[in-house]
Amino acid sequence: MGFVMDGLQAEGYDRQYDDRTLVRRIGRYFRPKLPTMLFVSGMILLNATMDTVLPIVLSRSIDTLAADFTVQAASILAVTILAAGGLSWLFNYLRQAYTARAVSDVVLNLREDVFESILDRDMSFYDEHASGKIVSRVTGDTRDFTTVVTLTLNLMSQVLLVGFLLIVLFVVSWQLALLAMMIAPFIWATALAFRTIARRASGTNQRARASVNAHLQETLAGISVAKNFRQEQTIYDEFQEINEKAYSVNLREGFVYSSIFPSLILIAGIGSVIIVYFGGNRVLNGQVSIGDWFLFVQAIGIFWFPLTSIASFWSQFQLGLSAAERVFALMDSEPRVVQTDSRPLKTVKGEIEFKDVSFRYTEQEQVLEKFNLTIDAGETVALVGHTGAGKSSLGKLVSRFYEFQDGTLLIDGEDVRTFDLGDYRRQIGMVPQTPFLFSGTVRDNIRYSRPDATDSEVDTVAQSIGWGDWVNGLPNGLDTDVGERGSALSMGQRQLVALARVLHENPSVIILDEATASIDPVTEAQIQESLDVVLKDRTAIVIAHRLSTVREADRIIVLREGEIIEQGSHDGLMGQDGHYAELYNTYFRHQSADYVPEG
Amino acid sequence: MSIQEFHVSDSYIYNRSTPLRWIVSHIMRHKWFMFAYVIGVLITNGISVFIPVLTGEAFDVVLGNETASGRSLSTIALIILAIVLVRGCSDLGGQYAMEFIAKRLERDARDELYLNLLGKSQTWHNQQRVGDLMARANNDVRELNGMMMPGFSLLFDSMSALVIPIIVIGTLNWRLLLSPIIFVVLFVLALGRYMQQLGPVSGRMRMQFGKMNATVAETVSGIEVVKINVQEVQEGSKFGRTARLYRDYFVELGVVQAWYLPPLVLGLAITIGFLHGAYMLSQGTISVGDLVAYIGLLFLLRYPTFISTFTFALVEMGFASARRILELMLQETDIDENESGRSEPMEGALEFENVSFGYDDTLILKNISFKANPGETVAIVGQTGSGKSTLTKLVNRTYDVTEGRILIDGVDLREWQLNGLRTQISAIEQDIVMFSRDVAANIGFGVGRDVTHEQIVQAAKEAQAHDFIEQFKDGYHTQVGERGVTLSGGQRQRLAIARAILTDPRILILDDATSAIDSATEDRIQTAINRVLTGRTTLLITHRLSQIRRADRVIVLEDGKILDQGTHQELLDRCVLYQRIFGKKDEATSD
Repeated sequence: MGFVMDGLQAEGYDRQYDDRTLVRRIGRYFRPKLPTMLFVSGMILLNATMDTVLPIVLSRSIDTLAADFTVQAASILAVTILAAGGLSWLFNYLRQAYTARAVSDVVLNLREDVFESILDRDMSFYDEHASGKIVSRVTGDTRDFTTVVTLTLNLMSQVLLVGFLLIVLFVVSWQLALLAMMIAPFIWATALAFRTIARRASGTNQRARASVNAHLQETLAGISVAKNFRQEQTIYDEFQEINEKAYSVNLREGFVYSSIFPSLILIAGIGSVIIVYFGGNRVLNGQVSIGDWFLFVQAIGIFWFPLTSIASFWSQFQLGLSAAERVFALMDSEPRVVQTDSRPLKTVKGEIEFKDVSFRYTEQEQVLEKFNLTIDAGETVALVGHTGAGKSSLGKLVSRFYEFQDGTLLIDGEDVRTFDLGDYRRQIGMVPQTPFLFSGTVRDNIRYSRPDATDSEVDTVAQSIGWGDWVNGLPNGLDTDVGERGSALSMGQRQLVALARVLHENPSVIILDEATASIDPVTEAQIQESLDVVLKDRTAIVIAHRLSTVREADRIIVLREGEIIEQGSHDGLMGQDGHYAELYNTYFRHQSADYVPEG
Repeated sequence: MSIQEFHVSDSYIYNRSTPLRWIVSHIMRHKWFMFAYVIGVLITNGISVFIPVLTGEAFDVVLGNETASGRSLSTIALIILAIVLVRGCSDLGGQYAMEFIAKRLERDARDELYLNLLGKSQTWHNQQRVGDLMARANNDVRELNGMMMPGFSLLFDSMSALVIPIIVIGTLNWRLLLSPIIFVVLFVLALGRYMQQLGPVSGRMRMQFGKMNATVAETVSGIEVVKINVQEVQEGSKFGRTARLYRDYFVELGVVQAWYLPPLVLGLAITIGFLHGAYMLSQGTISVGDLVAYIGLLFLLRYPTFISTFTFALVEMGFASARRILELMLQETDIDENESGRSEPMEGALEFENVSFGYDDTLILKNISFKANPGETVAIVGQTGSGKSTLTKLVNRTYDVTEGRILIDGVDLREWQLNGLRTQISAIEQDIVMFSRDVAANIGFGVGRDVTHEQIVQAAKEAQAHDFIEQFKDGYHTQVGERGVTLSGGQRQRLAIARAILTDPRILILDDATSAIDSATEDRIQTAINRVLTGRTTLLITHRLSQIRRADRVIVLEDGKILDQGTHQELLDRCVLYQRIFGKKDEATSD
C-alpha cells in the first residue's frame, strides 16, 4: 500500500497548473485510446457486478436450502456461483490486459514528447538543473504517472464493488446496513492515522539508511587508505555504531508498519461481532431472513480491504498529478535562444565579429558590455584571463548555446540569428574541457557527428592525429569499447577521441576549452601534435590553459571583467609587463621547461 | 577460516555453506523471537477459524436447530468478541517478534559482510566496482529484511491460513475435504506456473527500465556534444527504441499478471464445495449451520489465494540476495596477515628482481628489475596504462607478484609481517581519499587516534598545508567532504602528504597526478613533495619535469616493460621516446 511518499523536489522551471488543466491535458494523451479505455471501464463495471453477485447468490441459496432443498434449485445455484466466479475472473483478465496496453502506449507517447522537449532545451537549462533530476522526470515521474493510472482503475472497481454491495445491503435492511457501516469511519481513520505516523517514521529511517549508505560509500571507495595505514579497526568501530543506530530506527519503523493490518483486522472483527449479534436478533424477531443475515456477515469481510485503499487513494492520486505536473513543466519551459529566420547554410569561411555585444547569465551579473572583437577566418586566438573574465562566454555565444541581450554577432558578415540553427551548428566544432564520450566503441564516437561515414573515413581521421600511434595504445584499436561515459579510457585518450571527433566533423570554426587535468607526458605529446592538425586552417577560439597553446596562437586576447585589455603575441605581451605578464606568472610560469619551484 | 587481511576476534561465526543454511544460522541467533513468532501466528490463525464456526453455530441457534453446546446468541457473540481481541494481541505479538528477527538479520548480515570486505585484499577490491559492493551491502542486505518481513511472515501466515481452515473443515465432516483438496492441488499447480512466467518477464522489464534510464542520462550528460553536432534526431530515435521496448515488456507483464489463475480455481472450489455441502445437507449429514461455517471457511482461502504471488516473489528475491552476498563473502583473497613474519624497523633498500605481474593470462608487468638504495628517489615515467601504478602497488603487497620477487632490506616481501610492512610504507595514491571528518582527523588517520594536535600541525606545516587550513573558518576542525569544505586537488594532495609525514615511513610511494592550475600552488606542492621524500626511499610517478630532473634514477615504462633506465640526462641522450616527450620542451625554452 502506498502509504508513504517522498518529499517533492522543486525546480526553477516548475509551475503550478490547476487540477482541471492537468486532468484535461492528461486526458488529451488518453484520447487516441478512448475505445480501449471505454472497453476497460465496461470490464470494471462487469467485474464489480459479478463480485457483488457472488455473495448475494450465496445468501439466497442459504434461504432456499434452509427452507426446502431440491436438487434442481441447488444445481441452478451452483451454476450461478460458478458463472459469477468465472465471469468475474474473465472480466478482470480483460481489464488488466487491456489496461496495460492502453496505459503503456500513453506513457510511451508522453515519454517521447518529454524526451523531444529536453533535446530542445537550451544549454542554460542544463547548466541550471542537475542532470539526475532531469533524467528522473523523463523516466521516474512518467512511471509514477503510470502507477497512478493503474491504481485509479483498480480503485474504480473497488468503489463500484463497495457501492453495489451497499445498495443491496440498504435495500435488504437499512438498519443492519447502518450498523455494518459503523466500522467504516474507524477503518478510514485508522488507515489515515497510520499513514501519517508511517510517513514520519520512514522519513527518519531513510535518513538513517542514508548515513549507513554514506559510510559504506566512503569507506569502500577509500578502502585502500585504510589498508595502507592498517586502520581497518577504526573504521569498523565507526561502522558498528552507525549500523546499530540504523537498526533501532529501522525497527521502530517496522513496528509501525506491523501494527497497521492487525489493527484494521481487529476493527473488522468487531464489526463481525456486531453483525452476528444484532443481525441474529433481527432474524429471531423475523425482521430479516436468515439468508440476508448471512449476506451481511460476508459483506463485513469483503468491505474492509477496499475501504483502506480508498482511504489512501487521494494522496496517491495527488502524487500522480504532481508527477504529471512535473513532466508538463519540463515540457513547457521556454527556450531562450531564438532564431529570427532559418536561412539554409552550406559552409562558412569562419570570420567572426562581435559588435557591441552585451551578455549576462542573470540580471545581477553582466558578463559582456558592448563587447567588440573581430576574428579573421582561419585565425587561432587564445583567450586568457582570470576565472569570470568572460572567456567561456564567448564560446557559448558563438555556438548559440546562450542568447545575448544586445548587439550583433556576425558570421562572415551576416547575422548569426538568421541562419538555420542546425545548418549553422554543423559548421561549429567544439572540444569541451572534460571530453564526453557516448557508450559504444571509439569508432562510434569519432563517427558521431556524421553517422553515415564509412569505416575507412574514420580510420583516416584517427590516423591523421597524434602520429596515429595513439590508436595502437587502445586494447582493441578503434573497436575498443569506451565504457560508461568513456571510463575505460584514460583522460588523455578521451581527449584524443574528442579531437578526432571534431576533425571528422570538419567544421570551419572550432571552440576549444583546453583541459586542465594533468596528463602523462607521452599522451600530452600526442595531444599537442593532434592540436596542430585540428586547428590548422580553421578559425579557432581557444580557452587556453597550456603554455604551448598560448605560444603558438596567432593572437592572444587578454580579458578582464568582460573587456579586452591587451592583445598580441606572447613575446610582445611579456615585453609590455602588463596584465598578461601577471597572468603568465600566475598560471603559466610552472609550465615552462626550466621551471624550479619558488619558496 | 579463509585468508583474511583483517579480523575481529569475537565475531560470531555463521554457516556459509548454502544460502538457506546461512539465513537459518542468522535466524538461530534469535531463536526465542522465532519461537514467539510461531506461537503468535499459530494462535492467531488457530482461533481465527472459530469465527466462521461460531457464526455457523449462531445460525443454528437462530434457526432453532439443536447445537452441541446449547450456547445462546449473546454468549456466542461474546466468545467471538473475545477471539477477535485475543487474535489482535497475538497477531501484533507475532508480527513484532518477526520485526526483531528481520531487522536484526539486516543489521547482522551487513556487519558480517562489512567485516568480510575489510578482510579482503586490495587486489580483490581493485577488481570490484564500488557501485556493485554498495548494491550488495545496501540493497541486497535490505532485501533480507524484506524477505523476512513481510515476505516470510506473510508466507507462513498465509500457509497456516490455508492449512488450518482445511483442518477445521475436516473436523466439521471429513467428507467436506473433497473440495479443499482439489483446490490445494490446482492452486499449487497454477501458482507454480504463474511464478515461472512472471520471473523472467519482470526481470526483463526491470533491466529495460535501467537501460532507458541510462539512455536518457547519457544524452543529458552529453547534451553539449549532441547539440553542437546536431544529432538530436539520432538521440531521439535511440531513446524511442529503448522506450518502445520497455512498453512491450510492460504489456507482456500486464498480460502475465492478468492471467493469474488461482482466483478462478477458488471460484471452482467454492462451487464444488457448495454443491457438495448442499447435497450433504439434503442427506441430513450436516446442518445449515455447518454449511454456513463450511462456506465461511472456504472464503478464508481467498487470503492465501491473492497474497501468494507477492510473498513468493519476496522470499525468492531475498534468497537471490542472500546468494549474491554469500558469493561475495566466499570469494577467496590471496593475502593474509602473516602474523609471525618479520617486523623489524626497515632500512629502506628496495629491489625488484625479474618481477612479472598479471591477472589471469595477461601480464601487466614483465620482467622488471631495478634497485633503490635507502633514501634514493626513483621516478617512473610512461603512458597511462603502461603499468606505472601497478608497479608501485606491488611494494606494500597491495598485489603480490606473479613471478620474480621484491626484496626490502634483502628480505622477500612475503616474509614480512603485513602489519610491519604496511606501517613502514606509505602510499599517496593518484585518487586521494579524504573522509567526512575534520581536517585534523584526516591528517591523523594513518596513526589511529594516539596523536597530539601539535604533531598534526607540525606535519601540516611541513606539507605546506598549514596556511590554507588556517584560512578555513574552523581551521583544523573544518569538516571535509559533502557536508563541509570541498578541497581542490592540490589541497588534497598536501593533506595526503601531511598524513604520510605523520606516519614517518621508510619507503614512500607517491603517485603524483595532481595538476596545479596556478603557479603559486605548484610551488607549494613541489616544495611539499621535496620535503616528504627527503631521507626516504621513494618511488615517484610524476609528470613534473622538475621532479624528474631531481630523481636519482628515471625508469621509462612502456607496455609493462622497462624501456630504459638511467638519469634524466642519460635518457635524453639515448632514448628516442624520451626525446619525443622532453626534447621538445627543452627546445621550446631555449628559443
